[in-house]
Amino acid sequence: MMLGYYFPNEFAEPLLWHPVLFAYSLLVSGADLLILVALAYLSRSLRKAIPLMTMLGIGFFAVVMAGPLADLRSPHRAPLIFTLPHIVSTAANPGISLIAFQSIIWLVALALSIIFALLTFSYYSYQASLMHAGFRKKFYQVFSFGITTAERYGAVEKVAKVVAVLMLPFLTLWGIYPASLFIMQTWNPVWRSWVLLPIAYFADTFVVATALFMLVYFCWRYKALERDVVIPVLKIHAAGSLSLAALTGLQMAVWWFWSSSIAEMVTPLIPIMYLVVALLLLSFFLSLIAMRYPAAILAVSLVAMAGTFTNKWNIIINAQLVSKTGLAFLEAELGGLWPLETAAPIALGVAVFIFLSMLFPLEVRESGK
Amino acid sequence: MSKTSRRGFLGAVSALVVLPALSAASAVGESKRYAMLIDVDKCYGCMACVVACAAENNVPLGSFRTWVEHLVKPEGMRIFIPKQCNHCDDPPCVPPCPTGATYKTPDGLVLVNDELCIGCGACVKACPYGARYINPVKGVADKCTFCDHRLKAGLLPACVEACPTSARIFGPLHEVNELSKTINSRPVQVLKPHTGARPQIYYISLPDEVNR
Repeated sequence: MMLGYYFPNEFAEPLLWHPVLFAYSLLVSGADLLILVALAYLSRSLRKAIPLMTMLGIGFFAVVMAGPLADLRSPHRAPLIFTLPHIVSTAANPGISLIAFQSIIWLVALALSIIFALLTFSYYSYQASLMHAGFRKKFYQVFSFGITTAERYGAVEKVAKVVAVLMLPFLTLWGIYPASLFIMQTWNPVWRSWVLLPIAYFADTFVVATALFMLVYFCWRYKALERDVVIPVLKIHAAGSLSLAALTGLQMAVWWFWSSSIAEMVTPLIPIMYLVVALLLLSFFLSLIAMRYPAAILAVSLVAMAGTFTNKWNIIINAQLVSKTGLAFLEAELGGLWPLETAAPIALGVAVFIFLSMLFPLEVRESGK
Repeated sequence: MSKTSRRGFLGAVSALVVLPALSAASAVGESKRYAMLIDVDKCYGCMACVVACAAENNVPLGSFRTWVEHLVKPEGMRIFIPKQCNHCDDPPCVPPCPTGATYKTPDGLVLVNDELCIGCGACVKACPYGARYINPVKGVADKCTFCDHRLKAGLLPACVEACPTSARIFGPLHEVNELSKTINSRPVQVLKPHTGARPQIYYISLPDEVNR
């Protein structure tokens, strides 16, 4: 702990936003997965990967608010964010709350994503209803929405494309959140001076999203990995890893040249940023190897996750420990069952994904089938 | 009645009606803007203000609505600097609040509505001055209120009343009083002016070392 000049209220609670928020920021990668789904659907690429990405994305994005909910000190009032959102500026309440704004955006983005998923799975649901009996037959009939022929499904695909376009701006806003909150609506000196944070965060969540997809895909299809699924995802992942490594290095250079006082202030974060750059570069090179040897995607995924988890911990937890005076680095007091609290929202996201994967297919062979 | 005298009569009647209405309207438009002046030269670090504030407002142990920083100069001189919420004109803590629990009053106070606060800590993170904290007992954001409840009863904030050296001067900024006279006659400083928050606690002899 580097003691220096800090405020007494900071000393009382150095870590205001707990590690559970770190888990929440991982779940934001669900938004990036859904962005990839929308772009893939519109460009008619990665068709085989779309169902798995969709369910993984919805599974994580649907529970993303569980993280901050767990961090609230008065969680019983959480519904007020939706019933009394501060999204209009008044004399008594000037400005707009990014937290409230993004909460509303989350509802819209999630609804559009679910509509997209239901539309794209409608024809499959009809086919599944023919193969099942009893309750499952009824279930699939409901979700077929009357799409019983390939021709009708062609019309549904047009609507799905419109929904995919509508999804993109809302999901993109989530892709740069909470970095946009840190840099715009807090007065933490590290976050305020981290000028590349929003774009770095966007790249980071893309790296997490593709790494997560590769991990799940490997666990599901490790005996028969398909190159036409793995290679495009690896390319996106490689680009994301290299970009994030570059942005992290660039930010260190910006701090170094900006001012000596800022460089000194961020000193506790620098060693971890070097580690992050090394892990992301390793993930990049492993991606190139995996394009030739697809079984290496497991290593790609694990190394990338190690890099991005470390990066997010550094951004969210370590940066909070720098005093608002910029002259002290406080000590985090992590008490209780914080690892379990941190893992719980992620576990919930995985559970939702598993539930969805039991209902809908993880891949398609032909359009809608 | 001649034209001239009728015109004059009507003008006099109009003035009798319109002028009071205009002054009443301007009086309604003006509200008090409370501010505080802290003379660092007069503070000797007795902490009476901290104790009075904690007692008056049930401040939990370990949290501070007001505190006194202690600076030792290289030549050995000790300086004490009281700090608290600055009740800024453009408070950075109000926009991030997701439910509007943190709000500004017409007389310049920045307060928290406990019934709406969800305890997210966004306002705590947004304050450049370290003036806010999460009350561990109530689970809501908490900070100096300029003893709003005492102001309504016509009393001064507890810290101002407790100060034995009158280092703290409090009052409406735009009225003629000791506060405004001192601010207008002596060089004053504010904390972190570069934030653009326009804090309303003014200091005399504020050392640069603590303006962080």
